[in-house]
Amino acid sequence: ARFHGNPRSGRWELLGPRPPLAAMFADGTAPGADVESLWRSARSARCEAKSCQTGKISTAETAVQSHTSRDAGVQTDQSKDAVQDFQQEVQVDYASLLSFLQRVEDAVIKELNKNWKSRAFDGFEVNWTDQNETVLCLHTLSYPEAQDQNLQVTSVSWNATGSVVACSYGRLDGGDWSTEKSYVCTWNLDRRGLNPQRPDLVVDVPSSVMCLAFHPSQPSLVAGGLFSGELVVWDTSRTEDPVIWRTGMTDDTHTDPVYQVNWLPDAKHRNHARLLSVSTDGKILVWREERDGRLALAEGFAMVAQQIPRSAQLKKFARGEAAVGVTSLSFSHFDPRVFVVGVEGGYSLKCSTAAETLALHRTGSSVPLRAPAELAFSPHGGPVYSVSCSPFHRQVLNLFLSCGTDGQVHLHSMLQTQALVSLQLSKKYLFCVRWSPVRPLVFAAASGEGNCNQRFCSIGDVHLVDFEKSSRKPAVSIKQAAGERPVYCLEFNIKQTRLLAAGDATGTVKVWQLSSDFTEQGPREMNHLEQLASEIMD
Amino acid sequence: AEVEETLKRIQAHKGVIATIVINAEGIPIRTTLDNSTTVQYAGLLHQLTMKARSTVRDIDPQNDLTFLRIRSKKHEIMVAPDKEYLLIVIQNPCE
Repeated sequence: ARFHGNPRSGRWELLGPRPPLAAMFADGTAPGADVESLWRSARSARCEAKSCQTGKISTAETAVQSHTSRDAGVQTDQSKDAVQDFQQEVQVDYASLLSFLQRVEDAVIKELNKNWKSRAFDGFEVNWTDQNETVLCLHTLSYPEAQDQNLQVTSVSWNATGSVVACSYGRLDGGDWSTEKSYVCTWNLDRRGLNPQRPDLVVDVPSSVMCLAFHPSQPSLVAGGLFSGELVVWDTSRTEDPVIWRTGMTDDTHTDPVYQVNWLPDAKHRNHARLLSVSTDGKILVWREERDGRLALAEGFAMVAQQIPRSAQLKKFARGEAAVGVTSLSFSHFDPRVFVVGVEGGYSLKCSTAAETLALHRTGSSVPLRAPAELAFSPHGGPVYSVSCSPFHRQVLNLFLSCGTDGQVHLHSMLQTQALVSLQLSKKYLFCVRWSPVRPLVFAAASGEGNCNQRFCSIGDVHLVDFEKSSRKPAVSIKQAAGERPVYCLEFNIKQTRLLAAGDATGTVKVWQLSSDFTEQGPREMNHLEQLASEIMD
Repeated sequence: AEVEETLKRIQAHKGVIATIVINAEGIPIRTTLDNSTTVQYAGLLHQLTMKARSTVRDIDPQNDLTFLRIRSKKHEIMVAPDKEYLLIVIQNPCE
């Protein structure tokens, strides 16, 4: 049937023949059209639900702790057997040995002769190491607290291994009995992170320390002599209280400042070295260690003016009683009983520990003091501040140097009283002189202070003299202190032979590295010096 | 006795510091130095002489070592080699 919309009733009306009314419109509900969702069921038709679970992990708690330990040490013992004589084992056929020697003897003698006369190698020198031409300042070490108190470096010392340098602070220009605190500072130069303003160890000392000496084989022991006349030995490896021995103030102690302290090797007990101290009260005392940390007097010497031998040549200097305050001492390297002493009166004296005569000394001391002086050498024009025996020259020559306030260095042989060479190094006082440990012809001297031409000039210098180059003037003069203060002490480093430490009045220690011409022995140096000495002696 | 005479003659020569005779194994037979120094010299120079000899023969198999001299800053060491022995003389050639 066809319908059209009836505008009057708003209803659709049937177009065309009308079907029966009852069949035309009737209320009815038509069920809605449902469309089944396909995707979900299709999807579920394709998928399956599954689940999984990891298996159970088994864990367990345990703890481990080690609780026993043992220390064990290993040490090789020195073998008690002597080295076996090699000649026991060898069977020698003398006949064949003789024929061998007869065959080669001529050839060898010919070569020996050729060698003796040959000039082929004259002046021929080989350089195996890099040549370093200049003198450098490697380190400038100081302790600011001591510098604030205007303390000066009175002494420097290198330890047995050559890696630690120690310096003592005090005053050399103080004349009173000072109770000023002072310090002993050490720096380990081989340590990384070396801070030049912060010493590795600082020891507070109640009195001014005038001199220092490290033990020659135990790297941590250092001995110092004080202004009060006492001697103290410190062990730098101890952290709480480094003092291990001291002399204390007894009747035996020096009554004047101790200006030099040395360790003496003790032949009987290898490590128990003895200490020797030198002071301006004229006494030279040898101390040994006692069990309770005390140093007790083992033997002693006293220099009394009347007992000093005067030789005929020195008559004109023997006016009145010259003071016999001892300022410095040096042992001969070849005869351990012989030592040279420098005194305030300007003499240097040859002495022997084997001397028997007793000293004419007033006050009693626990050990009788002997007079050791055997020979007096020609004097300086002022007090002698330092003497040094050469480690190189054989027994016949035995050379030593002395220096004093007259600015001169005298080279003496122990065999004669007149000096072999007198060098006027500077117009200022010379405070310290030391032979080089590697080159027989080189020594260093520290200078400063003094009056030159009515003007007070106090430039501190370290002079290095090389007899091979010139015996009249220094080869190199190093200006040490920027503020023109004197240099009071210097020491060569025996293990690291290029280093030289020098301490001055501004409270700094400078470590200088020397150029290679000061540290390498030339081919015939020993002979040059013997020649030099014998030329002058004749 | 003649052995000693010969060695004394060499030792007495100008500038000679020491004389050592070692056998083919490097063991010292006669010496004018102390024990430990002699053993040191003997061992070192024996090895060096063998090395020098093999160097010469490697370069030319018909050649052989006749004498070895080592010059150092302080002295000169002379070695006279042989099949069974080695004579070492140390001289200080300072004029």
